[in-house]
Amino acid sequence: MAQDIIDGINPTRMELLSLKNRTKLAVKGHGLLKEKRDALIKEFFDILDRVKGIRENAELSLKEANEALVEAQIAMGDLAVRKAALSVKESIDVEITSRSVMGVAVPVTNVHMEERSIIDRGYGFSDTTIQLDEAAKKFEESLKYLIELGEVEKTIFLLAEEIEATKRRVNALEHIMIPRFQNTEKYIDMRLQEMERENFVRLKMIRSTIEKNEKAAAAKEAENAEA
Amino acid sequence: MSSVAIIGDIDTVSGFRLGGVKKAEVVNTPDEAIAAFDKFLDEEISIIIITQLMANEIRNHIDRKIGSSVLPMIIEIPDKDGSSEGSSDQINDLIKRVIGVEMVK
Repeated sequence: MAQDIIDGINPTRMELLSLKNRTKLAVKGHGLLKEKRDALIKEFFDILDRVKGIRENAELSLKEANEALVEAQIAMGDLAVRKAALSVKESIDVEITSRSVMGVAVPVTNVHMEERSIIDRGYGFSDTTIQLDEAAKKFEESLKYLIELGEVEKTIFLLAEEIEATKRRVNALEHIMIPRFQNTEKYIDMRLQEMERENFVRLKMIRSTIEKNEKAAAAKEAENAEA
Repeated sequence: MSSVAIIGDIDTVSGFRLGGVKKAEVVNTPDEAIAAFDKFLDEEISIIIITQLMANEIRNHIDRKIGSSVLPMIIEIPDKDGSSEGSSDQINDLIKRVIGVEMVK
């Protein structure tokens, strides 16, 4: 891992410059994503506190509603309850909008539910009992809780997904991309230095050859002059 | 304007019908549940309430259809003699997965 560099890169000054820019961008992105992750987790915890209470509420109210229903069934008989249930009018109207938490669209429900009296429900009075009224009321109530619960749970799932994705990205940047950029930078830098040294040595060699040649030429000239 | 639908056994459905949910489907087998579920998806119902028992049976189907989209919301409820181990487990798993790694760090 320590020597992980980008494959097939040319060790040139141009590449080094562009790589430095990329590293800068990656580091910046990493910081931002980290902040995003922290904000999401904070939001997640806030909503987590809510869900516990809501779920308990919803389950309790549903349990009560079911008990009331059983009572109605005992008083009226299964079939009569089913028949009455079929004639109940639609009571609930949910408006769903969405809100954005750090770029995650989460649902917000807005329940319109008018308080209904026995008359509004729509079943007849002659063959129904007070237990049925009670059960209907309880179910209306628990419906409200359930929708709230649904909203919160959905939000939690969506947030959790986003947190996981963000975390993966943060880790990828932190442990793979940024080290790779830095290693590649180092590699190019070292290659460039090496090339410079090679050049330096080459120049020295050439110069010494030239000097040798000059000396030899001068010696020859001196010999010729003597002769 | 969005509406609510319910999928479940006869008693649960009767109860919610009393509570004012019109779109209801009584199911007894997983296949029926899948059919009902698909029907409600086609009708673009935004909140589907389903009993936990059935939801567990058709969990794969639900996950495949819903994925990570915002709507519809699926609300799982215990039926009249059931507790709700499954769903809170699901949430707990999720928390462990999301936060657990964070704790290690």
